[in-house]
Amino acid sequence: MWAYVFRRLLWMIPTMVGILLINFAVLRLQGVSLVEELQLAQSDAGAGTARADARQGGGSTNLENYLDRFRRAGNDLPAVVNLRGFTDRVSIEARLHAASPSAPGKESDKSRAEKELWLYGRFAVLPLAAILADDACADLHGPASLAFSLCAYTSVSPREAQELPTELLNRIRDDNQFLRANRIDYRRDAGRGFVTSDKAAGDKRARLLAFIQDPRNRARYEVTTGDRWSSILGETGFTDVMGKLFTGQLWSETKKAYVFTLIGQRWQVTAWLVVLSIILSWGISIPLGIRSARRIGTVEDSITTNVLFLLWSLPVIFIGTVMLHHLCTESSGRPAPFPNAGLWTPGSETWPWWQRLTDWAWHGFLPLICITYASFTVLSRYMRGSLLDQVTADYTRTARAKGCSDDTVIYRHALPNSMITMITLGSGLLAELFTGFTFVENIFSIQGLGLLLVDAARQSDAPLVMGTTVISVGLLLVGILIADILYGVVDPRIRSRYG
Amino acid sequence: MRQALILAASLLAGSVLPLMSGETPDPARDGIPRLGVNFLIPYDRTPNDPAKQRGTLRTFGETPKGLNSFLDNSTTSTIVGLLTSDSLCERSITVPDAWQSSLAESVVISDDWKTFTFSIRKGVQWQRPACASKPAYAWLDRDVPMTAKDIAFTIEVILNPQVDCPSLRNYYEDIEKVETPDDQTLIVRWKRKQYTNLDCSVDLSPTPRHIYACNRDGTPIPAERFGAAFNKHWFDEIHGVVGVGPYRLEIFEPDNRAIFVRNPSYWGVPLHFDRIEQNLLVKEPAARLVAFKNGQVHTYALTPLQYKSEVLDRAEPRFAAFNESDPKAGRKGELGWERIKDNAFYYLGWNLRRAPFDDKRVRQAMAHIFPKSRIIRDVYFGLGQSILADAHPDTPYYHRDLKPFRNDAKLARDLLTAAGWVDSDGDGLLDKTINGQKVKFSFTIKYYANSPEWDNALGIFRNELKKFGIECKPTPLEWKELLRVYEDKDFDAVTGGWQKGWDLDYYQTWHSSQAEVQSGSNHCGFKNARVDELAEKLRLIFPIPERIAICKEIQAILHEEQPYLFFRSAEAVVVWQNLPPAGSSDRERWLDGVVRGLDEYHPLMVWNSKYYVKDRRYWHLRN
Repeated sequence: MWAYVFRRLLWMIPTMVGILLINFAVLRLQGVSLVEELQLAQSDAGAGTARADARQGGGSTNLENYLDRFRRAGNDLPAVVNLRGFTDRVSIEARLHAASPSAPGKESDKSRAEKELWLYGRFAVLPLAAILADDACADLHGPASLAFSLCAYTSVSPREAQELPTELLNRIRDDNQFLRANRIDYRRDAGRGFVTSDKAAGDKRARLLAFIQDPRNRARYEVTTGDRWSSILGETGFTDVMGKLFTGQLWSETKKAYVFTLIGQRWQVTAWLVVLSIILSWGISIPLGIRSARRIGTVEDSITTNVLFLLWSLPVIFIGTVMLHHLCTESSGRPAPFPNAGLWTPGSETWPWWQRLTDWAWHGFLPLICITYASFTVLSRYMRGSLLDQVTADYTRTARAKGCSDDTVIYRHALPNSMITMITLGSGLLAELFTGFTFVENIFSIQGLGLLLVDAARQSDAPLVMGTTVISVGLLLVGILIADILYGVVDPRIRSRYG
Repeated sequence: MRQALILAASLLAGSVLPLMSGETPDPARDGIPRLGVNFLIPYDRTPNDPAKQRGTLRTFGETPKGLNSFLDNSTTSTIVGLLTSDSLCERSITVPDAWQSSLAESVVISDDWKTFTFSIRKGVQWQRPACASKPAYAWLDRDVPMTAKDIAFTIEVILNPQVDCPSLRNYYEDIEKVETPDDQTLIVRWKRKQYTNLDCSVDLSPTPRHIYACNRDGTPIPAERFGAAFNKHWFDEIHGVVGVGPYRLEIFEPDNRAIFVRNPSYWGVPLHFDRIEQNLLVKEPAARLVAFKNGQVHTYALTPLQYKSEVLDRAEPRFAAFNESDPKAGRKGELGWERIKDNAFYYLGWNLRRAPFDDKRVRQAMAHIFPKSRIIRDVYFGLGQSILADAHPDTPYYHRDLKPFRNDAKLARDLLTAAGWVDSDGDGLLDKTINGQKVKFSFTIKYYANSPEWDNALGIFRNELKKFGIECKPTPLEWKELLRVYEDKDFDAVTGGWQKGWDLDYYQTWHSSQAEVQSGSNHCGFKNARVDELAEKLRLIFPIPERIAICKEIQAILHEEQPYLFFRSAEAVVVWQNLPPAGSSDRERWLDGVVRGLDEYHPLMVWNSKYYVKDRRYWHLRN
């Protein structure tokens, strides 16, 4: 049995990683890229000052701030596969030519071609320096100097600002300022492509080249063959998020807090609701299914079946909203029977325990009904069907022929066998309930994980979505594990196979 | 033009006077910026009514990313800043073109609008932070006066390249020098004359240098570590906020509540409420409406659909019924409602770079066909005003003499025929021969997918166009895709909206340079030499009558050229706990004074959080 459990546990790891990988890729596709963020920022800059129009080709100031934000969230890295290590001068030149305003193609593609280069970091520094050194590429010196200054730019995290020695911090600051000050101004001309508009272009170029020829600087941006190969899978957005996930450093930019701190503050609310709703739904559905199976064909069975299917056809969001409007809303002079928000009355922390418990039950009643009612139908119908299968089987007929009472046949022989189907169903219950909470917590304004997930998805906060997804996937896998163990408990064949 | 100038001047003069009641009016201090003199309206201490200063105001709020307004520009962090702090000067809530004194007792602008010299009010103290009572922060347990250096520190923070406030920095990068010769004098020198210098200078707020320039233990943060440390400052991590304003933040629980309590040592006139509580827990519009109906908050803004069901369809009988002839009918119910104007507008933009909308006559024909009033009535439930220009009709900047393109089939047909669009082959669709090829009149309108109102509005427009033999294909797009459409100028027609500030700027949306620049806002490709000249001039002109004249001239050209089909201005519906029912003893639930605010304030300032949350004459509780 332990070998069986161990094998199941091992399978959970690749399953979890696989689900997270798909999740991450989808999030990346729908999240805001640097290109879009800069586009929004540029139109914002246009609203502010006349000077924004003077800086073309994305050459507006403060680009480093956006780069910092992207680096903090790991959004500067490719999602799953990083081939930037194999960037060479030729490919960068081709990219810059493709980004030129005189090149054919859509503006958005050109803009993306140029701006994505800014995210290449150390991999593009030396190839860009080679372009800057080449007189034949004079038309590209403007955008190349901008890309060079951004790829060579060093971000300093708040922790590094605390810990790094003063001399190093000063050097980083001076280098960053130097790079920014020596960008060669250029403008975009639809007919001529990139046009250098900087009188000091020659001096700036010479200074940038001197900077990279300094052996100390050059060493910082050298890329070895080992770096190139290890970066393919090792330096990606996904590995960055996974690294932070397993070290607990996943940071939510929208909530300005560590993801697991946020989850830690909220998991209890959701966990309590999950446990109670499982007890409620199984506690009601199984006896209901058994009763229905034993009274098959009667009026009672028809009524139960129809009512349950009617309930099942009503979406949670609809029932929740109806409950909110009719059971939680005050109308002329009549107070609402149930509270409309939260799980406890503000200030109830000082009440005696029994009063708090009553208050909690009063607040939790409707949300619980809301997340539980739909599962009554599925569970009880499966229970009914599965039990009916067993009741008509040969072995139950034999038991009856041997003189066993109806109760003995049902509860001792048929029920344990029909539970295999129920266990299969129950494996996904934990995760399903978690999803159901996203609506219920939203409608009843309950500060749980569901609401956190909705907020995170709304604001495209990838780390927070990943953190909450880990919990959801974890619940699903735990559910499957429990189901697997229970199969072993109820089915002697599985038990005997794994000892 | 002369008529327009007189109208503007009379608007300004007529409304400034009530503010000055109780004091001897100083004609030089009317709040309208001018060179060489202190023009600020003096701080008004008359609306101080201690009898009404009590109770708690409850509203909804959103949990911001952080409370540091440099790093987060959400509505909540703005409101937190407004309640806990003050700026040097404030716009008048009755005449938004006028400025009044706040932390600055005077300002003198010199050097051709490049140098601003402020005299800072004496005796203003920083609030003591809540954490000062803990032993670890005992070094903060002292009185600290607010000085000119705290405002200079604000600029220092904004201009630090490492501080994560790039869009804010855009507005201040032209500052040449900031000087503080003494604690009460602040001199801001700009590199060049530009109209935005005015707003950026007079709207500055102080930043508590004694906290943000220090480490957790009170030691100063070295210059080389300041930028990165500020982005994740220890004071923000403990949700600390201090200011010099009328309230201090007592409790902040993200996604739950924010509670402000009165600052007992406030330098100015106290506001009405002892406490202001923001409910950050309830987020869904449906849940917010229920919480409002249950009396858990004093006020809320209905969504258009809620306005339709709750007010127009009478789902909630406590709201007074809609009455077309009485716009103030909503004030009579137990729950009050009123439509509030907002300085945002929506439009249909045409791509002037290609056929068929490269022809002015076709664009004008579209304006004759688009059933603006019907759509506002049927799709938006009457919310919003029909507009002809990109300024709000309630501002003096709006050109009221523009003649609307009335819905007239004959005029539209004549214009289309004059432009060469006729049904030559009798297939029911208009066509025209362009470069030797017969082209059908068929176009797409791209719009943001998550907007049921645009779905309906464009559906109606499409049916109208069909009657003229024009095929229109509304195409909904996701936000990211729409950004790409703007960037590539890849559209025939596109919908959009602009949120406007009080001051107008025509450079961003209409200057021809912005049609070519990457990510420029002149999506339509509008180019007009006179508009270019006027838009450039507007960024350098300070006297208001001249600014109004320029804006109107631009609007007249835009109206004639029709690069946008200007559609509607935005409108919200504010609701509040209005009148107690018979026998009600809950006096803390019902608000008073709202109606006075609605009548007296400038219509565009009523729902502007920047002003109403702080006004001393606005909402208070009923006695």
